[in-house]
Amino acid sequence: MANLRILVGVKRVIDYAVKIRVKPDNSGVVTDGVKHSMNPFCEIAMEEAVRLKEKKLAKEIIAVSCGPTQAQETIRTALAMGADRGIHVEVSGKDYENMTPLHVSKILAKLAQEQEANLVILGKQSIDGDNNQTGQMTAALLDWPQATFASEVTKENEHLKVVREIDGGLETVTVTLPAVITADLRLNEPRYATLPNIMKAKKKKIAKHKASDFGVDLGSSVEVVSVEDPPVRQAGQKVESTEELVAKLKESGVI
Amino acid sequence: MLKYKMYFKPKTLYQRLNSLFRSCHGESREKPSFDRIRFIQENTEISTNHMTPEIKLHLITPRCALWDSTADQCPVSDPFWAFYWPGGQVLTRYILDHGIVVKDKSVLDVGSGCGASAIAAAMTGARRVLANDIDPVAATAVKMNAKLNSVNLEISTDNLIGQRLHQWDVIFLGDMFYDEEFASTISDWLKTLRQSNSSCQILIGDPGRFSFEEHPAKSLLHKVAEYELDEVCRRENNGLTLGGVWSYDPSRTTK
Repeated sequence: MANLRILVGVKRVIDYAVKIRVKPDNSGVVTDGVKHSMNPFCEIAMEEAVRLKEKKLAKEIIAVSCGPTQAQETIRTALAMGADRGIHVEVSGKDYENMTPLHVSKILAKLAQEQEANLVILGKQSIDGDNNQTGQMTAALLDWPQATFASEVTKENEHLKVVREIDGGLETVTVTLPAVITADLRLNEPRYATLPNIMKAKKKKIAKHKASDFGVDLGSSVEVVSVEDPPVRQAGQKVESTEELVAKLKESGVI
Repeated sequence: MLKYKMYFKPKTLYQRLNSLFRSCHGESREKPSFDRIRFIQENTEISTNHMTPEIKLHLITPRCALWDSTADQCPVSDPFWAFYWPGGQVLTRYILDHGIVVKDKSVLDVGSGCGASAIAAAMTGARRVLANDIDPVAATAVKMNAKLNSVNLEISTDNLIGQRLHQWDVIFLGDMFYDEEFASTISDWLKTLRQSNSSCQILIGDPGRFSFEEHPAKSLLHKVAEYELDEVCRRENNGLTLGGVWSYDPSRTTK
């Protein structure tokens, strides 16, 4: 148990604070010249892995990212947060645009086996695709147990006890290892990488691979038909008093 | 932003090695007129808040502005001397606790960084101590740190790695296995050192870095001490909790 090797997936996404713009031809969103950073749920997954290492439950953390060259910046951030080494699966251009959670899951499943990982921790979803599929599909491909939407992970004998956030409350499950966990928002508060950690992470190794190294064909059976802005909100009206508010509501037939 | 880079053409094998060493260590991007002493005085604080409080060191701490800066915002490219690396801390602790190892001996501290291990050797009665680091800013920092602790050190910025040295009784390598390629260069050099001087004792401090743990040369080392990293050190080194002191001893394993 104390010898967990944890594989953490880290995705480079448009920064959460950036206002998203749709491309004029509705084929996707504008990514050029836009600030990117690590998907917040991936940060939480990474943080949890580091905490397990700090509790001496894990001996090694491997951060993986699938994406263009810039994905290496995201891996560097993970290394500064405490990953021991990185793996960059380079996917760029059209291939990257067409990449779906199934492709990523296949790569992660293969990597988990090759690297002899006994725990995979991922964010529950990325804030760009919002798919919420990668963790589940990775577990399925590996035929490993999964504990999704984790808000607490603790060691219990040789198992992991995971508290899950579900509709209307919390569910506690135990999983045997190896397993896949996906991180929900309340699992932890990720640390910021400070200069000493950034400096020392500079020399950590990032291995480079292609999807084909894992026998994964990047052809997709999903086609994006159209990406559109959400409808613009209608302008509101100001009212001076509650009487006026009630009158207006009656007028519009709401009450 | 201060930006300055030195370019040089590697010609001989020695120069190539030298350039590898420099690229591993990172060249200083300082301008020729850069006032190193002033930079160190203005950007560090004198700290004893580490595992060897007997030694005062100029370090970038959470109270310094640069602590939260990014790598690009830092005016010197690799201020490795401004952080007290965990491998260096445990090695220095070991020397202070076991002064007999260096008493009346000639000691070389390779990749001396802030110079703590060299200072510890001088404090515990080494006959002669050379602190060696190719970064000229590190050399200035070591000089300032030696003065703070009222010890005399020799300081050199030559690249000694790879050279046949026979005049040293004890050689320190504090946290020098942080880079995989560099780790191999060093382990080759250890053999050379042993051939040049079979009685030379080589001591290595490492906090369980991946490039150290997985290195084939590790089978030629034996652990002489292990320390729990203190809280400050753990915070500066996400995920690390223990540091080991190892002695290079090829004969021991073959027995």
